[in-house]
Amino acid sequence: METESGAIERLAGGEPDSLRQERRLVREAQAGSGAAMARLYTAHWRSAYRAAYLIVHDAAAAEDVAQDSFLAAVNALDRFDRRRPFGPWLHRIVVNRALDWARREALRRRVAREKSVFEPLPAPEEIGGEMIAALKELPAEQRAVVVLRHLLEYTPGEIAEMLELPRGTVNSRLRRGLDRLRETAVGELETEAGR
Amino acid sequence: MRNDPLDRALREASIPVPAEAERRGLAVVEAAYAERGHGEPASAIRRPSLPRLAIALGLVTLLAAVLLSPAGAAVRDWVAEVADSSTPRPEPSLAEIPGGGRLLVQSDAGPWVVKADGSRRLLGDYEETTWSPRGLYVAATENRSLSAVEPGGTPHWSITAPGRVSDPRWSPSRYRIAYRSGASLRVVAADGSGDKFLDDDLAPVAPAWSPLGTAEVAYLDASGFLWITDSDSGEHLVSAPAGTDIRQLEWGAHGSAILEIGREALRLLEVQPLKIAARPGIEFLRDLPLPPETTVVDAALAPQRQVVAAVLTTWRKSGTRSSIVLFGPRRTKPRRLLSVPGSLGEVVWSPDGKRLLVAWPGADQWLFLPVGRGEPRAIGHIAGVFAPGDRHASFPRVEGWCCRR
Repeated sequence: METESGAIERLAGGEPDSLRQERRLVREAQAGSGAAMARLYTAHWRSAYRAAYLIVHDAAAAEDVAQDSFLAAVNALDRFDRRRPFGPWLHRIVVNRALDWARREALRRRVAREKSVFEPLPAPEEIGGEMIAALKELPAEQRAVVVLRHLLEYTPGEIAEMLELPRGTVNSRLRRGLDRLRETAVGELETEAGR
Repeated sequence: MRNDPLDRALREASIPVPAEAERRGLAVVEAAYAERGHGEPASAIRRPSLPRLAIALGLVTLLAAVLLSPAGAAVRDWVAEVADSSTPRPEPSLAEIPGGGRLLVQSDAGPWVVKADGSRRLLGDYEETTWSPRGLYVAATENRSLSAVEPGGTPHWSITAPGRVSDPRWSPSRYRIAYRSGASLRVVAADGSGDKFLDDDLAPVAPAWSPLGTAEVAYLDASGFLWITDSDSGEHLVSAPAGTDIRQLEWGAHGSAILEIGREALRLLEVQPLKIAARPGIEFLRDLPLPPETTVVDAALAPQRQVVAAVLTTWRKSGTRSSIVLFGPRRTKPRRLLSVPGSLGEVVWSPDGKRLLVAWPGADQWLFLPVGRGEPRAIGHIAGVFAPGDRHASFPRVEGWCCRR
């Protein structure tokens, strides 16, 4: 297992120079350029993987979520409105799929606890950092909103649009999530909800 | 960029990345992109540069090396044919069930009955469901209760079991329902009467009824033994050691075969049913051949035939690939119907045994694959169909395809 660390830009990895360049890549990928598709992948994989990991807290699952999200993006590429930025579209897929996984896993663990005559599987290994450990304790829905706001740096309005939630719901999830992080982690967070 | 402590923690925290994950994903995405039907457009075709040519030559060499290596030869020799590796273009909505019949689908919202014309009805707040043999009822569980519900949603009867109810299975005779209550096996008559204990200390695997319509039911105990018990008399008729890590049992092929579906093996057992012998016997028949490093996602015995359809996933450096494979009754080579990048879900036979429904959650599709002649079809946007108003719902699971006329 390798370890990846370091800052992630809003458009991570081999970041396109500008949104205009990204639009060009999307246009070329829609027209059939495998090279453009590969560049889009390279530009966005790390942020997709990191966002997925911070929601599911399982490396193999995060890899699957990132991979499945790109596959879904490939399948829907023809329908993508290239006047819009690619990143938020992909992140929306990633976060929703990661939430799917987290909910399924929670259900599976609950059912396994209730049904199984065997010992339940141990939880995936903990990752470093008090803050990250505290994040893991949040409900998946709050985790997703916190990751979108504080890792991917979307505004609450953008998050509301991505998750198809009322903006008030996003703000309250964010506020509750940050309150719990403050209680359990370091107490040095500045509340960003509603900004 | 903002400098909030949480922003910094999320950006800078050290998180594990599986080795080669990015490259593995790129290979899968590139394969999916190529299968989507686009090549490089004419205007984009250029003479390959030296590095590209070198990479291409390297890939050819690598492929040749893989195919010539013992493991590669095993993979190459394993399948008899690849019918068609391209996936059909998905239809945008569930307007009909290809091949007809009715589906039972479990979603976050609960179980749905889907009619042949694609119309659907939510049955209620139940956790697990199974069809009765003719599709007149659905057996449904919720916590400690087992209910018989009409496909229109009207409850018929309900009983309360001592423990949490799971894995109900309606017998082909129509007269009995077997289910697990906690770690016990119980049987109740199809009118809700005569609920009784059969055995305890079960493994978390659904029981399987004899397809002959007799009273025998097969199940797995927690110590790894496969049992066949007469559900009327309660007599334990026979037992045999089971394989490891069994997740599912299927009893089919006119009662002559039980399939043990494990995570890494498909094990076929021969059964001499009670109608033929004085007591049933179980004999190990064979392991179905799987290529190296393969995980069995799901498998199902065909109705009335000794043919097994399996969804297999293989991890390679080039990425995850999943295949739907048919295993014939004798030692013929398996036949691969389709291979796709990424992960597939469950496989379900149509009631007439002519088609397979395969879930493809990553593409939000159901694949309908003809086993003989016919065109494969794909139906897209499945998750949203069964979670109206909830864009974040899990991909639904097909519990059954009903019913043979």
